[in-house]
Amino acid sequence: MAPESSRSHVAAGPERGRFRIRWTPVLFLLPSIVVFIVFKYYLICSAVYISLHNYDIVRPPGEFVGLENYFLFLKTSTFWLALKNTFVIFLLSVAVTFWVPIAQALFLSEIGRANAVYRVLYQIPSILPAVAGALLWKWMYNPDRGLFNYLLGKIGLGPYGWLNDPAMTKFAIVLPGFFASGGVGVLLYYAAIKSISAEIFESAKIDGCGPWRRLIHMVLPNIRFVILIQFVTFMSGALLTFDNIFVMTQGGPADASLVVSLLIQRSAFTQSNYGMSAALSLFMFIVIAILTVIQFKLQKEES
Amino acid sequence: MKRVGGSTRKWAVLLALALAVGTLAACGGKNDGSSESSGQASSSQSGGASPSASGSEAPIVEITVWDKPAPDAPDKAIVEEIQAEFDRTHPNIKVTHEDVTQTKEKFMAAVASGEQPDVFRPQFPDMPVYIQTGIVADITDLVNASPDKDRFIEGAFNMATKDGKIYAVPNEMYTTGLYYNKKLFQNAGIPNPPATWEEFAETAKKVMAANPGTIGYDILGMDWADWHFEYYVWQAGGDLTEQQPDGTVKLTFTSDAAVKALQFYKDLKWTHKVVQNNVLQAYEDNSKDFYTGKTAMILGASDNFAGFVSQGMDPSDIGFAPYPKGPAGVGPSQVGGNMWAISPTASPEKRQAAFEYIMFHMSKEMMEKKLQFSKDNGLGVNPLTVLKDVDMTRYVEGMPADFVAAIQAAAKDQKLEYYLKSSLSPYVVKPIQKVLLDKNADPLTELQKAQELAQKEVVDKFNKDILSGTNS
Repeated sequence: MAPESSRSHVAAGPERGRFRIRWTPVLFLLPSIVVFIVFKYYLICSAVYISLHNYDIVRPPGEFVGLENYFLFLKTSTFWLALKNTFVIFLLSVAVTFWVPIAQALFLSEIGRANAVYRVLYQIPSILPAVAGALLWKWMYNPDRGLFNYLLGKIGLGPYGWLNDPAMTKFAIVLPGFFASGGVGVLLYYAAIKSISAEIFESAKIDGCGPWRRLIHMVLPNIRFVILIQFVTFMSGALLTFDNIFVMTQGGPADASLVVSLLIQRSAFTQSNYGMSAALSLFMFIVIAILTVIQFKLQKEES
Repeated sequence: MKRVGGSTRKWAVLLALALAVGTLAACGGKNDGSSESSGQASSSQSGGASPSASGSEAPIVEITVWDKPAPDAPDKAIVEEIQAEFDRTHPNIKVTHEDVTQTKEKFMAAVASGEQPDVFRPQFPDMPVYIQTGIVADITDLVNASPDKDRFIEGAFNMATKDGKIYAVPNEMYTTGLYYNKKLFQNAGIPNPPATWEEFAETAKKVMAANPGTIGYDILGMDWADWHFEYYVWQAGGDLTEQQPDGTVKLTFTSDAAVKALQFYKDLKWTHKVVQNNVLQAYEDNSKDFYTGKTAMILGASDNFAGFVSQGMDPSDIGFAPYPKGPAGVGPSQVGGNMWAISPTASPEKRQAAFEYIMFHMSKEMMEKKLQFSKDNGLGVNPLTVLKDVDMTRYVEGMPADFVAAIQAAAKDQKLEYYLKSSLSPYVVKPIQKVLLDKNADPLTELQKAQELAQKEVVDKFNKDILSGTNS
């Protein structure tokens, strides 16, 4: 009797029903959870484990050294140089690249004719594989045969070293992002802008609110959550940037573009120091995690 | 309605289950495959009482070799023919060939994940680190028991030997020297390649003046810059590192020889102005400048000749000479190449099979087959060999006689690359790039900074590990 009555109670009472495991959603979620655990969390846990050892790939895990790998890299000036370069490249990327898709989305939201054409055009640069794009830019930067110095030569400027000039190389690495920063970001911003009620715009227009004030007081505040999410993704991407630097400069000239992700690769595959490499990776993981939490906190306080 | 809803739910649950199972199966697919293959391998190993795999009664031994030629490799046809010949004559050894062009990163990842190929071909400079970390198997017994051992030239096993133990079989060897474009030299009225540093700078200037739009010398300033720079340090009478009798390493970046060499680099760029603007350009771009006649001189290896000719350069325009001598009056050539090595994780049966495979490739007959193919197809032949019984003079016909003579001259005075290069490379490259890009950079100051960094970040730990026996 008791089980039956409790079963009917569960079925009838929404309060108790909350505690029932609903298998359908669990099963739907299972594949992605499994993939996440295997390809993300397992790797992060392995990195923690490796970072605590003087890791020996032939006879793993090698000698346990505790936090020595962390202390070791914190003591090297190469690491601090790489960290500084990483943040300089990140700040340059924000200045040169981050705002571009927002501007493109604003432009899209303002035009009616050929809107679809522009939307497609903005997507095309993001289809180009990053490595192919970096290679093309590397050729264009070539001081002897590159397109840029050729064009500048026509108007009596240059030749510039571009990637060869330690003062210019970071900017030269970031610049391609300006032209290829469209992609999904534009669509996300565009969708966010479109979701703002048209009536609000109309009434603002009637009240004599100009386009600039509409942008500052209406559009940007309404899409700021999308901007925040995009910024978090952008930040982790820029702080972990690897492929374009690896292709263009390999960290040179004279370490002017050496970033932490390159140092991670170098420690592991050139110097066979896997423990140090894992420790560096986790350091960046923690830095990005802290910065992300701070951003979300700020956003919450604001709202 | 209820029934319909119920059946929909049932279907949804089934679909979700199928998805979950599918994903798990996909995740586990590789593992299943590898465990199966390792299962097969272990059964074939355990089944074999005798280490010999060539007897017809013996069980099949499977080995994996990273030697599958790239689809566009000029010698693909002959390599595949030799591999097929091995399969035909060794029915008890099943060889799986995998891409030979895989990067060092992929190789290290394979080692770390337990997927190290049974046979692979490390480069000379990687050998000390591979021996120390245990990535290559000790094959002393196999080599000593082999009748083929005496067919190798004297000293061929040096690079693969540590503490009297042999870890690899030499495959190819090259020597390096100065390539020059005879036609551009002729236009400038220069009959002979430069023999000293002073002549080198003068020659480069003259060639540039007589051939407008060309470069005197393509210097290597990219992230492999230390590779060529070390030759100049040798020419000035020193080296970048010294291995001590106890196995530890002493850095000599600030030695008089290294400073003189870097000063010479600086002079070539800023005083003589004979090098390309893009001093950081890739090694391949230097080669391209040479075979397209854009630069008069580059440094290169004896086996580059084939590449230059295949890119359309006239063989009679290609000149080769030993390095110009530096202040120390010497100009040793660097010897490089690759070796056949066996994985230490391979079972004794697999090691035996792997060794048979290696020696099949190194046999006189197969070597000659390969050389004949290169000769017949105009691929050019590296005039150096690690084998005594292969007569290279039969295959170098068609190559300019002075080229062959110069290669042989360069090979007389040889040196190996500086010790611990693979770990120290980024530290040496930095001062080189500094002086090539900043005319105010001082060679000694830059080398001093690099040495301090390398000492602190690499050598202290390396020496500590050596002395404590961690890595030995």
